[in-house]
Amino acid sequence: MVIDNIDLTINCGEKVGIIGANGSGKSTMLKLISGILQPTTGTVRVKGAIAPLIELGAGFDTELTVIDNIILYGVMLGYSQLEMRSRAKDILEFAELETYASIPVKGLSSGMTARLGFAIATDVTPNILILDEVLSVGDISFKNKCSQRMKDFWQDDVTILLVSHSMDMICENCHKVIWMEQGRIKMIGQTQDVINQYLECVDPTGMSSSLPQVNQ
Amino acid sequence: MVKSFLNKQQNNNLLWYRELLLVLIRRSLKRRYRGSFLGIYWSLLNPLAMTGLYAAIFGPEFAEYYDNSNLNYILAAFTGLVVINFFSASTAMALSSVVENGAMVNKIRLPLAIFPLAAIGANVFQLLLGTLPLLVIVTLAISHSLINTIALFLPLTGLILVCTGVGLLMSGLYVFFRDLPYFYELLIFVLFMSSPIFYPPDIVPVTVRQFLILNPILPIIESIRQIALSGNLPDLMLITHSLASGLILITIGLMVFYLLRSQFMDLL
Repeated sequence: MVIDNIDLTINCGEKVGIIGANGSGKSTMLKLISGILQPTTGTVRVKGAIAPLIELGAGFDTELTVIDNIILYGVMLGYSQLEMRSRAKDILEFAELETYASIPVKGLSSGMTARLGFAIATDVTPNILILDEVLSVGDISFKNKCSQRMKDFWQDDVTILLVSHSMDMICENCHKVIWMEQGRIKMIGQTQDVINQYLECVDPTGMSSSLPQVNQ
Repeated sequence: MVKSFLNKQQNNNLLWYRELLLVLIRRSLKRRYRGSFLGIYWSLLNPLAMTGLYAAIFGPEFAEYYDNSNLNYILAAFTGLVVINFFSASTAMALSSVVENGAMVNKIRLPLAIFPLAAIGANVFQLLLGTLPLLVIVTLAISHSLINTIALFLPLTGLILVCTGVGLLMSGLYVFFRDLPYFYELLIFVLFMSSPIFYPPDIVPVTVRQFLILNPILPIIESIRQIALSGNLPDLMLITHSLASGLILITIGLMVFYLLRSQFMDLL
C-alpha cells in the first residue's frame, strides 16, 4: 500500500503545497487526484476540469516536430486539434521557440523541452492545476516568465496543487501545506507552521536556520 | 473512482477520444514514414512482391486448381496476402502499444484502449490508401459490378473488427505476460500457414480441414475472394460469416481488455 488512510478536502481556489521525503506518496496522491490511478479502496471526487498531468513534457514524442507535439500534447490535455492549431503561435512565442517550430523535439535542449511543456500546459487555464516539481525549468529569464504566469493563476480561483522540495517556492505560493510521511498525512495546516515543523524534523540540528524563509 | 462526469462531459469525452485517436494515428504514421521515400506504398509493394515470388515458385504447380489460370492463382494469392499482412501488421502493432506508452500513461490520464485502437487505425489508413485501390480495380475489372465493389467493404469491416478485437486482447495480455510477442509471432505463422493464401484450399487433408474453422480470418479471405474474383454476385453467407467472426472477436477483445484494465497501472 503506497498511501493509506488519506482524508482530505481541498476547496476551490486553494493553493496547496505538498511536501515530504522521496517516496512518501506525494506523486501517488497527485496521480489519484488526477485520475491516473484508481484507489483500491475509498473514493476521490473531483469537481471541475483538471489538468490531467503530473509531469510536463511526459507526452512528448521526441521524433516529431515541435509544432506536431504542441498539437499532440494539447489533445492529450483535452483540447481539440483545431484549438491547438490556433494556439500554437502563442505557445511558441511564450516558450521562445518560434524559430524551432519544424524541428524534432529531440533536437531541443532539455531546458527548451521543459519550456515547451510548461508553455502548453499553462496556455489554457484549467480549474485545477497539478504541478509536480515543474517550476524549476529553464534559464533565469524564463523562470521569471513562469513565475509571472503562475502569479496570474494565483490571482484567479484556480485550485493549485504543488509538489516541491523547494521550501522557498512553497512559502511564496501556498496558503496551506500538506506534509506526507510514509503514505500518510503527517501534518496539514498553515504554510509556515508545517514547514517549520517539517524542517525541524528532518534537520533537528538547526542547519535550516540558514534558510531565510523560515527565519521569521 | 474519479467522478467528474456530468452528461455534457460524457459527450465531450467522446469528442476527446475521437480527437485523441486521430492525433495518435497521425503520430504513428508520421513516425513510421519519416524520411521514407515510398512511405505508405510499401504496404502495397510488399504483397505484390510476395505474390510474384509465390507465382514463380508455386504458380505452375497450383494453377490447375485455379482453372489452369496463372492469373487466377496470382489474384488469389494477392488477396490472401493483403488480408494476412493487414492482420499481422495491425495486431502486432496493437500488441505492444499499451506497454510502449506505459511511461506516458503514468504521467497523463488517458483512456488506455486508445492505444491499440490507434494502432489498428493507422493500419486501416494504410490499407485504404495502399492496397484497397488495387483491390477495387481488380473487383471492377472482374465483376463489372458496382454491387460487388461496394460489398467488398463488408468483409473488410469484418477484418477490421477481428483485428481490433485481437489487438485489444493482445495489448491487454502483454501487460501481464511479457513473453507474448514471441508466442504471438508463432501464432501469426500458424495462422498464415492455416489460411489458404498461397495454396489452394482443396489440398488440405480432410482431417485437418475441420480445425480450420477456428481460424477467424479464413471466412474473410474466402468472402473477399468470392466478391472480388469469382465474377458472381456477393455471397451473403460468406459475408455474414466474416462479420460474425469480427463481432465475436471484438466482443472478446473488449471484455478482456476492460476486465484487466484496472490492474494495468500497477504493471506499467
